[in-house]
Amino acid sequence: MQINTEEKKRKNNNSFLRQLFKTKPLSAVCMMMLLLMIFIAIFADVLAPVKMVNGILPTSVLEKLQGPSWKHPFGTDSLGRDLFSYMIYGTRTSVVIALCCTVLSTLISVLIGVFSAMIGGWFDLIIQRFVDAWQCIPSLLITMILMQLFGNGILQMVIVLSIPMGIGGSRMIRSQTFAVKDLDYIHMSKMLGGNKIWQIFVHIIPNIMPLILMSMAGSIGGVIMSEASLNFLGYGVSVNTPDWGAMLTSSGRSYMYLAPWLAIIPGIAIMFIVFAASMFSDGVRDILDPRLRGGAPKYRSKK
Amino acid sequence: MARYALKRVLLLIPTLILVTFIVFMLMRIIPGDAVDYLVQVLQSSSGGKTIDREAVEVMLGLDKPLLTQYFIWLNDLLHGDLGDSFFMTGTVSSIISYEMPATLELVILTFLLTTVISIPLGLLCAARQDTITDNVIRVISVIMMSVPVFWIATLILVYPAVWWGYAPPMTYVSFFEAPIQNLRMFFIPALLGAITSAGGQLRNVRTLTLEVMRQDYIRTAWSKGIKERMILLKHAFRNTMIPVITMLGGSIGYLLGGSVILETMFNIPGIGQQLTTSLGMRDYPMVQGCILLISVIAMVINLIVDLLYKAVDPRVEIE
Repeated sequence: MQINTEEKKRKNNNSFLRQLFKTKPLSAVCMMMLLLMIFIAIFADVLAPVKMVNGILPTSVLEKLQGPSWKHPFGTDSLGRDLFSYMIYGTRTSVVIALCCTVLSTLISVLIGVFSAMIGGWFDLIIQRFVDAWQCIPSLLITMILMQLFGNGILQMVIVLSIPMGIGGSRMIRSQTFAVKDLDYIHMSKMLGGNKIWQIFVHIIPNIMPLILMSMAGSIGGVIMSEASLNFLGYGVSVNTPDWGAMLTSSGRSYMYLAPWLAIIPGIAIMFIVFAASMFSDGVRDILDPRLRGGAPKYRSKK
Repeated sequence: MARYALKRVLLLIPTLILVTFIVFMLMRIIPGDAVDYLVQVLQSSSGGKTIDREAVEVMLGLDKPLLTQYFIWLNDLLHGDLGDSFFMTGTVSSIISYEMPATLELVILTFLLTTVISIPLGLLCAARQDTITDNVIRVISVIMMSVPVFWIATLILVYPAVWWGYAPPMTYVSFFEAPIQNLRMFFIPALLGAITSAGGQLRNVRTLTLEVMRQDYIRTAWSKGIKERMILLKHAFRNTMIPVITMLGGSIGYLLGGSVILETMFNIPGIGQQLTTSLGMRDYPMVQGCILLISVIAMVINLIVDLLYKAVDPRVEIE
């Protein structure tokens, strides 16, 4: 019992959030930003001054391409849509895609990586050759082709972005599983009669969890960026879904001279969220990555 | 070493075959095929005559079962024939070889600029870990990574033209004909590509250097009383260069993929631009050829870098 409480105390002292706030203040601030984004995404309907009607932002020809004003803080686009509301609803698109992709791609990575390593032998060899081959093909090209296959839409985008990311990420999970699977406690579990499935879910996955969390945090920024790039290339969400990348392509590019805010605001928004995600994942990595643990030795030479 | 190299080259063959299979199948499962498009084009150009759909299919070789088509394509591939484009005159290989130089030039320039930016700054960060210099450079590098390249490119294409009447040249000339004009066209897209990729690479260089800085031989060097400059330049940085070069080499495939956006935006007649157009028209042989070529280049570069890595660093174990 004594040990148990002490263990708990130690764990609490080292809790992830506490460490993040203490040692990586900037990452912690960025995490708050991401949470704010999620908040905006959830309450988009409440926050947006102009509400969506039947899933479409109301358009008005009379108010098209207006500059920023009190009524339209970010101005309006070529269809007369209020850019401020568009951006708020666009947050929802980005957040939904980023979260779903992160979860789905991690699931794919873990599934491929862990099973490939645990089953081993021929299965592993074949799967790894497939992963090798897949990785040779640049992922932007694969996503472009897959988008053509699945068509436009949020769900389609989630699937299309997750597949290459998941397959790419499986490498790291596999090698980490290899590192864990020959440790004593796994052998012990085998001796006690645990089968492979038990070993995977009770021993392996919890033990590679830091790595999984690290790669999840690391992929958020990439997802948002790829999503925006795909939308920019014209393979994206459907026309009526507000999306930052899509705004850049449709109105932003054509009316750049007449209405610069249409290009500048969505761009800054993308940059901002990717920045926050990267900074946050940096902090997560510094705390969770076993390779970077144990601080740097500080030496100086005599002056 | 020779055995290892041989093994790696042999392992490349199944990977290569798998790449061809993935590329082929990805193209064929896309709904809406080239036949519909071509029938439409032929119909409008012949003044509304009915076009025999099946004849078009036979002409393009799309009437055969999928696997047969794959093996025909593979067989041609082994004979060095990438097939004919459905819509453009000429074989795929002739079109690609015409467009390859532009893409390669863009990628090489981007790669050089990335290296020039990321290695010195990354080393500087590592040498001054956790100081203001380090933190500022790291924040800037994250900003560099977060800039959407297509966004910055659009801004650069429009605003300088509006404000100062300057626009990046949009007509392609070969480097060997007019090097200065050519570089003026390629510099901006290459710089943009480099900025986005240098952000990430810089951080990798920093991490890799920090790992080296924690090694025992660095501590030994310090304890021998060697000057800081010597330790950094001679002991730390030289050891860091090996993984850094591997990592940078590995990024070339990524740069090739990223060239699609830059080529489209800056009107560079390269493979990336060709790929976007061909994909829209479902020009199967063209898309397959382009993707295959890009993948093979990435694969070969990775192999070379890997082998060099083993050759240069005797500590690396060869399985």
